[in-house]
Amino acid sequence: MTIIVDIAADLNDEDETGFVWTFLDEARDPSVVVPGAIIVAGDADAPAVVEVVDIVSKSAGQVVHLRILPGDIEDYAALVRRTLSAS
Amino acid sequence: MPDEIRSHVRDEVLPDDATVIVRGGPDSLEKLAQHAARTNRAFLLDGHQLWGVSVFLALDDAGSASAERILADRMRTYRIVHLTNVAQVRASGIGLLPTFARPRYTLLMRDASARSISALAVALGPGSTNPYHVAKRRG
Repeated sequence: MTIIVDIAADLNDEDETGFVWTFLDEARDPSVVVPGAIIVAGDADAPAVVEVVDIVSKSAGQVVHLRILPGDIEDYAALVRRTLSAS
Repeated sequence: MPDEIRSHVRDEVLPDDATVIVRGGPDSLEKLAQHAARTNRAFLLDGHQLWGVSVFLALDDAGSASAERILADRMRTYRIVHLTNVAQVRASGIGLLPTFARPRYTLLMRDASARSISALAVALGPGSTNPYHVAKRRG
């Protein structure tokens, strides 16, 4: 399974909020990165399903805070396959 | 303009050489350069450029800052982790800065040159399987 993340991030990075952080302009499509959105962050080798906590404007750019959600990305893929039908 | 990180540096005794360092991976030279560039974009240290990447140190034998809990909790989404120690990091010429919440540290490089990135990669060592990865724990 090839994984293309919604936003590049080092999931080891945590700031004073305790959340993972990255820059909004590292998103493939910044319009999907809004508070409350469930997206995939990290990189193809180390992806994680995350919730967008907030977006904070800093002088270096807009910083996105992310909460890593439970489970493996394959769990979420299996959930979608199991619960969504074509109808 | 990056933010000054000094106010987020903890005042604590630096760990001894045997202290285990954990970083989620796998890291490549390219990834380390990218992550260091992101840190550099976001932060200054005492008004100077900061190049570094985030790691977690096993500062306690038990609890949230133990190696086991770091691997099981903070590293749960990582199939591959880098396990090294303070001695190896220091021997590679990489600095250690206790930043933000314990047990997080920033590994500091002098700059973002290929030589510095390579030294960081040597300090982190090869990746290994995380025995506490969330998929492994399901059996």
